Amino acid sequence: MTAIVSIKNLSKQFGNFDALAGVNLEINEGEVVCILGPSGSGKSTLIRCINQLEDFDSASEVKIGGIDITAGKTVRADVGMVFQSFNLFPHMTIRENINLAPLRVKRMSEQQANAIADGLMRRVGIAAQAEKYPSQLSGGQQQRVAIARVLAMEPRVILFDEPTSALDPEMVGEVLDVMRDMAKSGVTMLVVTHEMGFARQVADRVIFMDAGKIVEAGKPAQIFDEPSQQRTRDFVNAVLQQ
Amino acid sequence: MTRLASVLNRVWAGYCSRLPQILYSLLMQPTTLRFIGFSNFFVRISVLAVMYSGSAFAAELSVGANVGNVPWEFQDENGDYVGFEIDLVTEVGRRLDMNVEIINIPFSGLFSAVQSGRIDIAISSITITERRLESVAFVQPYYDSAQSLTVDSGSDITSLDDMRGKVVAVDTGSTGDIWTLENASRFGFSEIRRFEGLVPAMLDVQSGRVDGYISDIPGLEYFIRDKPYFKVVQRIETGERYSMVLARGNPLADQVNNVISELKRSGFVAELHRSWFGSVPLASSSTVSVVDRPISASVGGRDGGFAQTFLNWSVLLNSMPLLLSGFGITLLLGAIGILCGLVLGLFLSLVRLYGVWPASLATKVYIDIFRSIPILVLLIVVYYAPPFAGIQLSAFTAAAIALTLVSAAYTAEIFRAGIEAIPAGQFEACRALSLSYRHTMTDVILPQAVRVVIPPLTNNCINVIKDTALASVVAMPDLLKQANQAQALEANPTPLIAAAFIYIALLWPLVGLVGRLEQRFRQEYYR
Repeated sequence: MTAIVSIKNLSKQFGNFDALAGVNLEINEGEVVCILGPSGSGKSTLIRCINQLEDFDSASEVKIGGIDITAGKTVRADVGMVFQSFNLFPHMTIRENINLAPLRVKRMSEQQANAIADGLMRRVGIAAQAEKYPSQLSGGQQQRVAIARVLAMEPRVILFDEPTSALDPEMVGEVLDVMRDMAKSGVTMLVVTHEMGFARQVADRVIFMDAGKIVEAGKPAQIFDEPSQQRTRDFVNAVLQQ
Repeated sequence: MTRLASVLNRVWAGYCSRLPQILYSLLMQPTTLRFIGFSNFFVRISVLAVMYSGSAFAAELSVGANVGNVPWEFQDENGDYVGFEIDLVTEVGRRLDMNVEIINIPFSGLFSAVQSGRIDIAISSITITERRLESVAFVQPYYDSAQSLTVDSGSDITSLDDMRGKVVAVDTGSTGDIWTLENASRFGFSEIRRFEGLVPAMLDVQSGRVDGYISDIPGLEYFIRDKPYFKVVQRIETGERYSMVLARGNPLADQVNNVISELKRSGFVAELHRSWFGSVPLASSSTVSVVDRPISASVGGRDGGFAQTFLNWSVLLNSMPLLLSGFGITLLLGAIGILCGLVLGLFLSLVRLYGVWPASLATKVYIDIFRSIPILVLLIVVYYAPPFAGIQLSAFTAAAIALTLVSAAYTAEIFRAGIEAIPAGQFEACRALSLSYRHTMTDVILPQAVRVVIPPLTNNCINVIKDTALASVVAMPDLLKQANQAQALEANPTPLIAAAFIYIALLWPLVGLVGRLEQRFRQEYYR
């Protein structure tokens, strides 16, 4: 097993506040890792650092596929990201949203890109919406478009930043179904989520974070059923009682 | 090299010593002040329309004069109105037992002011012409004048015959303008440039943009008496005579005429001539001898009714070619200002937002300065300052540059607001997809920003087109300038009204377009 993401001693401050305080993490190819934790625990900041949307302390080390991004190298094409608020391009159709990066970054032909997009839209179940604009779609559909847009670039790892938190409850399922299929097909995924059911069922590993640190990591059954730390137990109990 | 250095030195010294005075005199020109607001143009028309029915009070004699027209009517160092015609009209008022009130009105606006009743009498060394007699009334003349050709002292031109292929300056709608038009082919002038008064025209003679200036000889001789860098090289006999203008059918005209007869007989007018020109007029001149009031040779003339005055069909037809050529210039100048302003403004906004800090700061300073400077001031600086450094800009280039510089500053701010209105998530999505900076801008950010900025941008376009009217101050024959000239030639305000309608016809659809675009973009994706 090779580590696609390798993080050593990752730290970041917002002013005097330690958003991340020495995080160590390795993610292997084909692995699905879910990150849990209360808000402000640093889980979103962690994945934004991996995707270079945030700077971090120079003493830290972040490697993607063996390349050190701390040194300023850009390997962003290897990393895809699905945002909580979708961030689709509102002035483009669904197809144009998916095609943009393959056309501009990978310099694919229109034909090639369209073929890939068609396959992806079928895979996430939005083939009928290809020529519509994002505002004409439901939230669940929009998030599935965002996932297809990321998949089109064939990244080695996909980061999910609370992908279902902005959705109406009845739409959460359709997005999780797509993510479950991706996990089955071997996509490497790092998912920040509050969906305990999904984490328990899909994740190879669950990480619990608090106060910028990884408190506990392990198999889902271990974290949910017999956590070793009191803070993990409190959090899991609180969420499950909702 | 030494020679070049000494030339530069001289140019620079001249520039430093004279520029402030020149700018001051230009800005204080009544004609210039008039152009500071384009809205004045409409205000003037509405004032004319409102005042049309009402006459001035009986005990008041309102006299319109193009103040600054030496030595006929100008301001002395105390700011008081003085001059040959000021003295004459004041004496006329005294003898008629009326209080004279002088109102400063640019030359081309005097005729409509008389016709509308805004003023009772217009003075400003106004020449009696057949065409003017069709629209207004004159009293008997009191000065026999001529035109003159004035050139820079260093020029080789010694007479009109040397003006073949040269550029000649005139005053908009003046008798010099009329004479030059009629004789343009005979003397082979390459171009006629129209100015709003003596000072700007003389500045362009000095800068070499025009080769000679054709204007009334008395004013020129008075003006250059302490300016050895100009010389009058030829007197052009036109047989023209100056008089006062009143509205057709105004009974006051006969009373004023009678008073002038008295004043001539008593030697008052001849004495004015002696005191203002330092010479005794010929006994045969109209300054001394009593003559008849001039009457229009054509039957009827224009009766001065509302429609005849403001919506005169024959005047409109006569002035249409002028108006259309002016419309073309306005469109071209507006289009250049808008397009160049758009490109430069977009560039500035990107530097301001994403440039390294010194560039960003410089851009911010540029934007702030050019948004606070009145276009008119900028135009005058761009037009009159570079010649002192040896750079010659045509009026069109100067106007295009001034419009572009200001338009770019406004456009930059509009684009900046548009880009800043795009949510941060759009930038993050682009970065996460590895899009380059260029593609992020051209494919994602700018297409969305454009939709946000279209309404304010179109408003800016409307302003630029309106601001082209300011170009007439540097003798650009734009729509407003041509309307003014046509108005003075015909002594009738119809061309101004027509120009107003042309502006409206041009800008109204643009205003409508803004609304439609706003609606379309909303429907497209922000449901």
